[in-house]
Amino acid sequence: MAEKLIELKEITKQFPGVLANDRVSLDIEKGEIHAIIGENGAGKSTLMKILYGLYQPTSGEIYFKGKPVSIKTPLDAIKLGIGMVHQHFMLVPSFTVAENIVLGVEPRKNRFMMDYRKAVSITEKLSKTYGLKVDPNAKVESLSVGIQQRIEILKVLNKGADIIILDEPTAVLTPQETEELFKVIRKLVEELGKTVIIITHKLQEVLALSDRVSVMRQGRLVGTLKTKDATEQILAEMMVGREVLFEELNRIEVPREEVLTVKGIKARDNRGLMALKGVSFSLYSGEILGIAGVEGNGQSELVEVLTGLRQAEEGSVMIKGIEATNKEPMEIRNLGVSHIPEDRLATGLSKKATITENMILGYHNREPYATKGIHMNKKPIRERVSRLIKEFDVRTPSQDVTADKLSGGNMQKMVIAREFSFDSSILIVAQPTRGVDIGAIEFIHKEIIKKRNEGAAILLVSADLDEIFRLSDRIITIYEGEITGEFKRKEISKKEIGLYMTGKRKGMRQGGVQDEEIKKC
Amino acid sequence: MKKLKNAEYLISLFLSILASLIIGAFIMLANGRNPVTGYVALINGAFGSKYNIATTFAKTVPLVLTGLATSISFRSGISNIGGEGQLYLGAFGAALIGITFVNLPGIVGIPLALAASLIAGGLYALFPAILKVRYNIDEVIVTIMLNTVAVLLTSYLVNYPFASEIGKMGGTEIIAEGYQLSRLVRLSTLNTSIFYVAVISIIMYYLLERTSIGYEIKMVGQNSNFSRYGGINVKRRMIFAMVVSGALCGIAGAFEVLGVHYRFLQHISPGYAWDGMLIALIVKNNPIGVVLMSIFFGALKTGSISMENATGIPSELISVIQSIIILFIAGESGFKAKIKSFLANRRAIKKAGEKNA
Repeated sequence: MAEKLIELKEITKQFPGVLANDRVSLDIEKGEIHAIIGENGAGKSTLMKILYGLYQPTSGEIYFKGKPVSIKTPLDAIKLGIGMVHQHFMLVPSFTVAENIVLGVEPRKNRFMMDYRKAVSITEKLSKTYGLKVDPNAKVESLSVGIQQRIEILKVLNKGADIIILDEPTAVLTPQETEELFKVIRKLVEELGKTVIIITHKLQEVLALSDRVSVMRQGRLVGTLKTKDATEQILAEMMVGREVLFEELNRIEVPREEVLTVKGIKARDNRGLMALKGVSFSLYSGEILGIAGVEGNGQSELVEVLTGLRQAEEGSVMIKGIEATNKEPMEIRNLGVSHIPEDRLATGLSKKATITENMILGYHNREPYATKGIHMNKKPIRERVSRLIKEFDVRTPSQDVTADKLSGGNMQKMVIAREFSFDSSILIVAQPTRGVDIGAIEFIHKEIIKKRNEGAAILLVSADLDEIFRLSDRIITIYEGEITGEFKRKEISKKEIGLYMTGKRKGMRQGGVQDEEIKKC
Repeated sequence: MKKLKNAEYLISLFLSILASLIIGAFIMLANGRNPVTGYVALINGAFGSKYNIATTFAKTVPLVLTGLATSISFRSGISNIGGEGQLYLGAFGAALIGITFVNLPGIVGIPLALAASLIAGGLYALFPAILKVRYNIDEVIVTIMLNTVAVLLTSYLVNYPFASEIGKMGGTEIIAEGYQLSRLVRLSTLNTSIFYVAVISIIMYYLLERTSIGYEIKMVGQNSNFSRYGGINVKRRMIFAMVVSGALCGIAGAFEVLGVHYRFLQHISPGYAWDGMLIALIVKNNPIGVVLMSIFFGALKTGSISMENATGIPSELISVIQSIIILFIAGESGFKAKIKSFLANRRAIKKAGEKNA
């Protein structure tokens, strides 16, 4: 049995109204890759932030190499050799790689001047020792997300970390970048004797990478097991607390008809930069068209243009043959378009409004919910909402609680219930299962397929490639505001699509030419 | 759950008022006065006789209107801080009708005067509303500055072009008799405007709480992204709320002219719009709350004068009390969260302790 490096004993963390960690005991062995998995809100990140000194536990103790320690700040953690790479990178975009890496421990020429040349040599040395290639003089803002993550890891290593905590490291990476990261992690552990703790909710990654895995659910530790004894099914059940079935979704063929035609759309993002550089595609009824791309390549802007929330500078949008470019959201809704927005808190709902108020929007001035469009009738409104709550399994104590009392998954089900209850022929669905627990994901996916089978045209935007592949009939890839490829789902692999998502390959490929990988699918 | 929330809020409000009264008592003590006699005099002054009660309600009238005006604008997320200016213009508009069409019977004249005040106040609010939705110019700054413009403009008008012939008094001529609202209680200024206000309150309650317009206004104020995404015409709702708000302030001014002074005076409002804003803030823009809190404020105002007469305690103490209520209410959610987290923490520690034992 390996040496116990860190022992967490009975850690409890109470936030106002939420018990984030409930008597969690966990140990980390030297030289292992330890995965901590759990659904959103299970308390994984909180636990790691306690270990890293960002939070103080309400009760419980931490032992380091058998001795009790008190970790009050990240500085204490760093002294013990614990480093953390956060989910959202903490880099200065306008600084060079070398400047970022030495930030906080800068080599100095004198009291006031930083020794930049030394910073570069430190970076080069680190890069060589750990086999992580970076250009010390490149500005961080010009680098890809994968490289930025590499810099974060180097930054932690530069501070002398032996134990590296990675919080959801693959959330923003393409399949290629993920593979690359895993190689790095293995090297750190196997060749350089580091210990890695990785927080994630992707089961396949856990199985591929870790030595041991701890599962958390609702603030408690469900159990720790050796990865070789685990399967996807076992882990999923531990995470959710009941059996989960990933069944193949049932598709039926329905007649297809072009309902949405997008031609040469150009639009700017909030900073005024060109986010869409001439996007064209068509959407047909009875299909799910998935848009695959690394986040920030224009997907958000595209959805906003289509739903009337953003102005297009050029190009046209036709909905069922009717000109709908730059129309108000209301007019577009009236043409039969529903929209699940990517950010439910900012756009999809009002946190301070009750569930009833949130779910009646769009119907609030229609008969029978409002007589003559003005006088709102409580009874039919309440009946409609309570029916939708039941149909879409929104878990809530009552329809009068404010929306902020719901969990992420239930908020999302509330939004989906409202949008899917309009009799829309086009559904624009962005990040439908972001921050949603496994049970709810399964439910939402089924509802989306149901709509497709009923003949709706669905445009699906998701950063989760698994989701795109599970749901789509057809996939288009987007990179830097341009469409880089279009495929039938069965004709392409995840790995290959990664090349299109990062702009390394371009161009439509017709069924004729097929690679080895495609045949495997 | 919503009811629970309301109950929680009512408790906080009650505690805030109680605490501010207690602090008021300490201030009296520190000045060597007896707080019991002080508060007894206050209550007597507000409700002690028919005349006192009438005066309390007379003071309530403008507060209800300006309070409702603030409620609708704050609910929609556009802040009308220009109530005072709208009130002055509304009052002047009503007075202008009252001194121009002197031969009209009341049944025609009063609605006409009210319409004039409503239009004057509404238009004066429309301008900043359009600047806001068209050019995203901050309505708070614009409306604050428009207050000064309106007050000084009317002040000029009543001192020069429309000055009363009997000396320079900073007021217009008396309005024609047909326009004067009847007094209800002898010596008190309480007049029939209170019935109009009752009707207006009911309409506003209905509008805000029972109609799709009120619903849209509320959604726009809570999350304008969400509202736009959901198909609400956000700009139109904001403008509507602002114009109604201005119109209500205008009417408040009209009632001061038609019911209280019978003429426009250059200092016709001692800050009714500001008091209305405080009231709306305290009751979180709830129309029923506005009515009740206005009565409370009216009572404090009336009572404080009697208190000063009877005990020598300065009536300004009431401003202190009002301000302390606001402070407590502003901190309400913070206090509540602190108390809740303290309790939850204790529970967690207890639970952990049990497990260890």
